[in-house]
Amino acid sequence: MNLLSIAPTLAQGPMPTEMGGATLFHYLLVSAIMFGLGLIGFVTRRNLIIMFLCTELMFQAAGIALIAFSRFHLNHTGETFVIFVLTVAAAEAALALALVVLLFRRKETLDASSWQDLKG
Amino acid sequence: MLHLLELLGSSALATTLASTDAALASAPAAGGGVIAAPMWASLIVALPLLGAVLSTLMAVMGVRTKLPALMTVGLLAASFVTTLALFLQLQGGPAAGLKLYDWISLSWGSGAGQTFTASFGFDFDHLTLLWMLFVTGLSAIIALYASEYMSHDVGPGYCRFFFAFNLFVFSMACLVMGDNLLLLFLGWEGVGLCSYLLIGYFYRKPAAVAAAKKAFIVNRIGDLGLLLGILSTFAVFGTIEYTKIFAIIESGVLPNGQKLAEHWANWVIPALLTCGAFGKSAQLFFYVWLPDAMEGPTPVSALIHAATMVTAGVFLIARMYPLFVSDPHLIVLSVVAWAGAITAIWAATIEMAIFDIKRVMGYSTISQLGFMFAGLGILSPVGASFHTFTHAFFKATLFLGVGAVMHGFGGQLDLRRLSGVAWMRGFGLVGIAMLIGSINLSGVPFTAGYFSKDIILADAFALPHGQIWGSTAVAWILLITAGMTAYYTFRTYFRVYAGPKEFVPGDDAELLELGRHPKGVSIEEWHKQHGHGHGHGHSHGHGHGHDHGHGHDHGHGADKTATQRVDFDPTTEEFDPHPPGAAMKIAIAVAMVLAIAAASLYFIGPKGGWVAGMIAQSSAALPESVATHAGGDHAHGTFFGFDPHKVMYYVSAIVGFIGILIAAVLHGPRGWQGLFVGSRTQAEKSRADAFVTLFGPITTAARNKWYVDEIYDWTIRTPLLVLGHILHFADKLGVDGLVNLAGQIPRGLGRAFQTGQRGVLNGYALSMAAGIAVLAMIALLAST
Amino acid sequence: MLLALIFSPLLALLGVVFAPRKSQVKHIALAGMLLPLAIVSYLLLNYSSWSGTTASSGRATELAVSLNWFPDIGLKLVLDLNSGVSVALVALTALLGPLCVIGSHTAITTRVRTYYGWLLVLQSAMLGVFCARDVILFYIFFEFTLVPMFVLISLYGSTNRKAAAIKFFLYTFTGSVIALAGLVYVAFVNAKGTGEWTFALDTLTQASQRLPAGTQAWIFAALLLGFAVKVPLFPLHTWLPLAHTEAPTAGSVILAGVLLKLGTYGILVVAIPFAPLAAIAFAPWLAVLSICGILIAGLICWTQTDIKKLVAYSSVAHLGFCMLGMFAMNVAGVQGSVLYMINHGLSTGALFFCIGMMYERYHTRSLKEVGGLAAKMPIWACFMVFFAMASVGLPGLNGFISEFLCVMGAFQAGDLWAAQGLPGGTAGNLGPYFAAVAGTGMIIAAIYTLYMVGAICFGPLKEPAGHADHGHGSAHGGGHGSHAGDDHGSLPTDLSAREIGVLLPLAALCLFLGLRPAPLMNLVDPAVKDTVAIVEKARTQAKATAAAADDNTSALTAR
Repeated sequence: MNLLSIAPTLAQGPMPTEMGGATLFHYLLVSAIMFGLGLIGFVTRRNLIIMFLCTELMFQAAGIALIAFSRFHLNHTGETFVIFVLTVAAAEAALALALVVLLFRRKETLDASSWQDLKG
Repeated sequence: MLHLLELLGSSALATTLASTDAALASAPAAGGGVIAAPMWASLIVALPLLGAVLSTLMAVMGVRTKLPALMTVGLLAASFVTTLALFLQLQGGPAAGLKLYDWISLSWGSGAGQTFTASFGFDFDHLTLLWMLFVTGLSAIIALYASEYMSHDVGPGYCRFFFAFNLFVFSMACLVMGDNLLLLFLGWEGVGLCSYLLIGYFYRKPAAVAAAKKAFIVNRIGDLGLLLGILSTFAVFGTIEYTKIFAIIESGVLPNGQKLAEHWANWVIPALLTCGAFGKSAQLFFYVWLPDAMEGPTPVSALIHAATMVTAGVFLIARMYPLFVSDPHLIVLSVVAWAGAITAIWAATIEMAIFDIKRVMGYSTISQLGFMFAGLGILSPVGASFHTFTHAFFKATLFLGVGAVMHGFGGQLDLRRLSGVAWMRGFGLVGIAMLIGSINLSGVPFTAGYFSKDIILADAFALPHGQIWGSTAVAWILLITAGMTAYYTFRTYFRVYAGPKEFVPGDDAELLELGRHPKGVSIEEWHKQHGHGHGHGHSHGHGHGHDHGHGHDHGHGADKTATQRVDFDPTTEEFDPHPPGAAMKIAIAVAMVLAIAAASLYFIGPKGGWVAGMIAQSSAALPESVATHAGGDHAHGTFFGFDPHKVMYYVSAIVGFIGILIAAVLHGPRGWQGLFVGSRTQAEKSRADAFVTLFGPITTAARNKWYVDEIYDWTIRTPLLVLGHILHFADKLGVDGLVNLAGQIPRGLGRAFQTGQRGVLNGYALSMAAGIAVLAMIALLAST
Repeated sequence: MLLALIFSPLLALLGVVFAPRKSQVKHIALAGMLLPLAIVSYLLLNYSSWSGTTASSGRATELAVSLNWFPDIGLKLVLDLNSGVSVALVALTALLGPLCVIGSHTAITTRVRTYYGWLLVLQSAMLGVFCARDVILFYIFFEFTLVPMFVLISLYGSTNRKAAAIKFFLYTFTGSVIALAGLVYVAFVNAKGTGEWTFALDTLTQASQRLPAGTQAWIFAALLLGFAVKVPLFPLHTWLPLAHTEAPTAGSVILAGVLLKLGTYGILVVAIPFAPLAAIAFAPWLAVLSICGILIAGLICWTQTDIKKLVAYSSVAHLGFCMLGMFAMNVAGVQGSVLYMINHGLSTGALFFCIGMMYERYHTRSLKEVGGLAAKMPIWACFMVFFAMASVGLPGLNGFISEFLCVMGAFQAGDLWAAQGLPGGTAGNLGPYFAAVAGTGMIIAAIYTLYMVGAICFGPLKEPAGHADHGHGSAHGGGHGSHAGDDHGSLPTDLSAREIGVLLPLAALCLFLGLRPAPLMNLVDPAVKDTVAIVEKARTQAKATAAAADDNTSALTAR
């Protein structure tokens, strides 16, 4: 049994017509692909900025999913939450970039592995 | 609160009263008769303590004069006068007691034996007064002697010497006069400490430090026995106060209702106490520390290691004599008798072979202590006490004389390198004193030593068979030893004091400084040139020579060797013997006169002399039950059919003369000093040299003290040290190893999990994602 | 009053942290140490007014402080000085604190704030342990002594300090965690019985005593493990020599003087009263371990060339005597044991001070490199010999009283005395043989102590190579020793006035307590008797149970 085979069952509710045939399933698919890309990017890359962007990608993927659900359930919970998340993410982005800049100044590199101090 | 206080106060008072009542009730008749001594009697103890305190203060203030000595002499003389006054007041009367305060007091119930009290209190009876008279008297005399003898060290060292000296007299007073066994123990270890400090006085000499250490440690072995004896005494008698113990012994019934005569306490406790006595008095295998103790300054040897401290063992047994004789089989006393006899003859064999005159005196002390112990063992506390008393004076005289020689000849102590000392300028008094001491020690008729030794010998022969196991054999050993004593004493006398004037100076830097001068310059001129006063002016300090100073001589950067050997070059230098000064002469003269006068005590008072009278009035007197069997006019034992008490006067005199005669033949110089039989014409050689080769290795063995030190070293010290190293190793590897091993367990576990925690950010993300995936999977699987 | 006593060092900590100048730090620290000493002195002088003349555990004094902490689980902040043992140990701690500060003036010149700050924290924690009357509070103070000590050793120690600090921390920590388990278990059992959680020492003591012997054995084992590591009881001692050798002087002094006593105090106040039945059953075995410690550590001392390690091992031997007396569990033994805590703190603490003073001058502790110092430092040598004699148990000095009473306690505590109806014995399961074997430890003590003194003080003068210059220079500067303390380089050849000031009070106390121990003995007597009474009660109870069991079996066999 895989995840994709369950997904259509999630989208069985009536979708508002304005969405033009795109069902919840499609939104979730986009969200999942974005999250997957972000995750793969985070795991495989070592550049701090890229890794940071990847986390942002995963964030936005979660946001899309939330908006889609909000629309699906016809309430504003998800939208409200996404607005919060966006605000926090913006603040976080500023902080994170500042940290990255500081780290870069210390070692003149953006390689995450150069900060690897633990022995293993 | 006040009420509570009152309540508690009164109840405490009531308890005290109750316990006193109980003590009185449990102490029938004679025991309770302790009258209160006058408060000033505590001066006997307080004055030496004051002396110790003042010496410390003087050291702090940096006194660089003879003040500490003068103060000590004054205080100790005052202490002696106090003792004498107390003696005159209490003479013939009952014992008196004085309690200052409770030192250790502990109680765990109100019943008998549930209160442990060791007070700082004193008993003054005839036994303690006898001891204190010679302890305080001799210490004052010897302090006077030391004031000059130690004068090369005026300054902090001088203060240190007199601090320990005073502390010694204080401790000895506590030991002797203390009214309980624990205060005796305080004095016992206190004199041990002073002995340690004084033997190690020349602390730069490794030999002195080692000797001091040895003395303390060997004594501690005996002290353990004493301590266990004290604890047993408390366990059995429920008290450690003499008066109460004696009352129980007198009643013959222990607090638990058993008869003392049938209880193990009557031999176990004496055996334990004897262990302590042997340690302090250098008996049997404990003797090894005393000869080494001769490393100390001679006044110390005279006072502590001859006259007073070493007789503490004799005192302890005499003090607890009622307990010793409460054993119907007298087992421990038999052991004491044999131990004394064996020690006496054993030490005598060594003395006959060695050449160091101070060590000869040391071994002679051991031998004489053997006589005293044998005296105690063969039920002659009178003989033992009298011999202790006389020995204190004549042995002190001998030591003071030896000290004068050592002082005068640059520390020379080898009897092969000294001859005719008595004829040298300024040494006449020393010669006379040595002769007086020697005739006393040899038992020449009508000397004090003769009478006191006679009592022991006669009592030994007079004992009936079986009362003390093998008492006749003990008596014969002692008689032979008496002859040997006469021989070795006069061997020393004839070689060192009589004969042609000849000497080689010793190698003690400071003492050499007293008499060395370049050839062609007389000593007076030499000393004048160097700013010394002549004669005995060395007390003003002879700056560059002595290096016992502290700190102030660092600037020289001088290489200070341990032994301070200064090469005396006979080709360019000469040495004039340095005669003793006024203080030393006075001290020697007084000691000598007292040694002679002690003989008169034999004729004062009841039969057996003044000391017999003193002992008869003290707790050390033989109880009727034992006395009827032994000694006195009912002598059962005989000496070839004669009454030993009559015939021994002649026998011991003859034996003594034979010893002297042999000494004269072998070592006597040519002429009348050798009693017409001697032939020695030089210091180094005598007839004996040819004679000893006949004995071959025996003499060598005796000269090396029968290798006892070596045997101890190999059987006890080395194995213990090796064991220590093994244990240290085991502790490090075994015990600590186990601990470290236990420490490795968490470390190993950590290492196992370590690989996942490498700080690779991507790795963390991957494992997190995988973890979430797995969790999600589980959630899904669970939901379907 | 007690809060002021415990927290005044912490007040000074603020001063130490915010002091404008580094040179002021030690004076502020000294003030922080003197404050508790002043309070303790005041308390001692007015002892009868607040203690009801006899301090006895189980009865609150006027000083008692009780604050709610976590009321939900019955956790309270209870402080009291209702036991003479606590008073004595608080006094010892308060005395050693200022001396440690004074003694560190020249030894510590870097990271001064950290050093004195942690010293103050340590002082606070130690005072707290002895005042706490709530087991959790007790445990917190107990454990909190570890942190400052860890820092003191690992920052200010000598070469191998890191390893020593870690070992010290982990070893003692492991032990006390197990002890905590025991404490919590008792609290749990009590809560289950009464339905109410409490950690009050007295309540738990009574609750624990009612437990059956089997349960008590486990509780005793758990508590003992924690405290015995701290004591340290042979064979749990191996952290001690290492920690002592590496610690700075003040650290060694406090370690020997007070921290080890936390263990013995814990056993006396917690372990034995909590599980008297188990204590009675285990006593002979623990006494055997104590004697092993006395003898083995004593012999190991003799082989040491590092003088500090020698004194450290001698602590193991000494505390063996202390434990022997404690497990005699009669008045003489426990009294001796308590006195031993105080006396060992004074004499061994002073010995560590002496060694520290020597180390400051020669920078070596090896007896192979330095010796015969009496020639150069006579005052120092006098103190060294004095404290060595106090430590060897010479009558007239303090060590003897406690050693004698411990041995006497062991000697008395045997049923053979009662069997013979002899008056001087008490109930117990040690006896004369224990005392005799332990007594040989006194001989060994003489051997190693005199070996130490003989090597370091006496004999030919031996100084490390290159030291002669220092000696030469300072010989001239020796005159003004009193103000030489500020600069590390200008120590006088012999002790300075400041150093004498550190040693003199200790020497005076050693002498006073040796000749007149009564004040101290009276102070601790009621508390000692309380402990002994608990044990005695348990003993009769155990006998009754055994008799009942006998009756049962005989009844069974009769049937």
